[in-house]
Amino acid sequence: MKKSRPLFYLIVLAFLFTLPLYTGVYVLNVMGIILIYMALALSWDMLLRSGQISFGMAGFFGVGGYGAALLFLNTGVHPLVSIVLGGLIAGVLAWLIGSAVLQLRGMYFAIVTLALAEIFRVIVRNLPDLTGGPEGTILPQAIFAGNSTYTYWLVLSVAALSVAVSDIFRNTRIHFALTSIRNDEIVAKSSGIDVFKYLVFLFAVTSAIQGVAGGAYAHIYGFVSPEGSFSIDFTLLPIAMALLGGMHSTWGPVVGAVVLGVVSEFLKLQIPYGHLMVYGIIIVVAILFFPQGIVGTVGQRWKKTVSH
Amino acid sequence: MSLVNKLKQSNYQIAIISVILIVVLGSWKPHVLVEGFQRACLYAVIALPMALILGIVGIINLAHGEYMMLGAYFAYSLNVYIGMDPLVAIVPAWIAFFLIGMASYRAIIKYVLGTPELNQLLLTFGLAMVLEQMANLIWTSRPIKLPLQYVSASATIGSFTFGTYEFVYVGAAMVVLVGLQLFLKRTSMGQAALAVGQNPRGAKLVGIHVDRTYLLVFSLSIALIGALGAIFMTRHSIFPLVGAPFTMKSFCLIAMAGIGNLMGILWCSLILGLAENFVLSFRGYAGWADILFFALIVLVIIVRSHQREVK
Repeated sequence: MKKSRPLFYLIVLAFLFTLPLYTGVYVLNVMGIILIYMALALSWDMLLRSGQISFGMAGFFGVGGYGAALLFLNTGVHPLVSIVLGGLIAGVLAWLIGSAVLQLRGMYFAIVTLALAEIFRVIVRNLPDLTGGPEGTILPQAIFAGNSTYTYWLVLSVAALSVAVSDIFRNTRIHFALTSIRNDEIVAKSSGIDVFKYLVFLFAVTSAIQGVAGGAYAHIYGFVSPEGSFSIDFTLLPIAMALLGGMHSTWGPVVGAVVLGVVSEFLKLQIPYGHLMVYGIIIVVAILFFPQGIVGTVGQRWKKTVSH
Repeated sequence: MSLVNKLKQSNYQIAIISVILIVVLGSWKPHVLVEGFQRACLYAVIALPMALILGIVGIINLAHGEYMMLGAYFAYSLNVYIGMDPLVAIVPAWIAFFLIGMASYRAIIKYVLGTPELNQLLLTFGLAMVLEQMANLIWTSRPIKLPLQYVSASATIGSFTFGTYEFVYVGAAMVVLVGLQLFLKRTSMGQAALAVGQNPRGAKLVGIHVDRTYLLVFSLSIALIGALGAIFMTRHSIFPLVGAPFTMKSFCLIAMAGIGNLMGILWCSLILGLAENFVLSFRGYAGWADILFFALIVLVIIVRSHQREVK
């Protein structure tokens, strides 16, 4: 099983890479949105593995988006470069905030991150000369002139990046450090793990991924605005996806993103206002009844049947 | 030891300085003082029930502001369908939200009490989203405001005119604060609740019904915040997202005052309310008032973690 893993990855990647050959624009667009949310869900789950919960995805997503759009407009760098720089800005910002706030953890950290989207939105709205104020800023052109195949590949590489980072975190010693922090911080500390440093590093990396996703999103739609870029959707949906799929793994958020991404396409048509309620219900139900998520529950069943 | 108590004990200089500051502020921008005071009482009365839940039941309720939003819509519906004045609707809202609180506790909150903090945060966040979107579905996201005559009452002293209706928040804050203190200190139920808050296992050993106490405290807090929603909607326009910022501001106040310190919340909300109104009074910079609470909470966290290191 272990040895066939790289092969499995390659096949999946090759299939996803060649997807534009078999399908139309609509499927590519839906896939693009799913992959963006997948990156967000994965980055959220990566931080969760250390026992810290962040509600700040929408904040860093918007910062990445604004960073990419404004850099592109004001300095004229290539859009792809500006996306990477937008991610870097989000990462540095997270590093600064994390250095201040991660000393006190748990609910303090959670609430500070919950406020982040709102705070960034206020700042963006109050700097009209730089950001365009409440109306937002329109880019002269969507990236790749709106070519859906290229934009799909862009989003695919963002999602692949987050899967790769998640897998690296999962399969190296970082994983042991994070798991031991989650299980018992004092034990982790006494076995020589610099808890604070690990957490700040992790927070910066995951936020940078969210920033990159936000930059890609901004360039694809060619538009950033305080309400759109910092929308609570970018916090709510990834959490629901990760919880539905299963926490603390790479495949949980991936499966959750695919399932919910497809379902949400139907929901949007059925309940145009308030379809977000379903995601809230998913979070509540998942916490109460199946905290393992789809991947965890199916995995357990599978193990049982194999052992029988 | 809470931040505020420490300041109080340290010396009288701070008290003198703050009196001077208030006098200077009162003579320079009197409306900042009056409106800041009114706003502070609104913050305090929203934060108090949240502090009660956090202090005694021990969970942080991220859906706090959403319950207030629902209370406001409840009062609005009563007004639309049977013509009840929102200030009269406080009583039915109190009763309805006591029941809603009970239902929420029995159906949801109860099951995450013993689990990691992470689950509680996620669950109440999910609950907040459900309530918010439910309101969005029923009443749409259009802001609603009732045309009420009495809310624009004002008084004039010399050349200075200010709204008097907003003093209703001051009254509400006093009623809730005094009522809660009396409940917690004088009644046996309240004393039991305090005991449960300090040590649930010890309370159980001496024969206190812990689960019932949690149920009572949670429902009482939800009832208070629901009833406040009725007052809130007389003055402010309401929409599904109106409650969310108050959840975060309330937490900011609780973190400043220290968990379990009800009086401290009043002082901290005075700081926040006056500071916000001070920023609001500058034309062109008013939009920045909304990030003050964030700066305060980050400051508090830095001070706290520094204190912990010194210890």
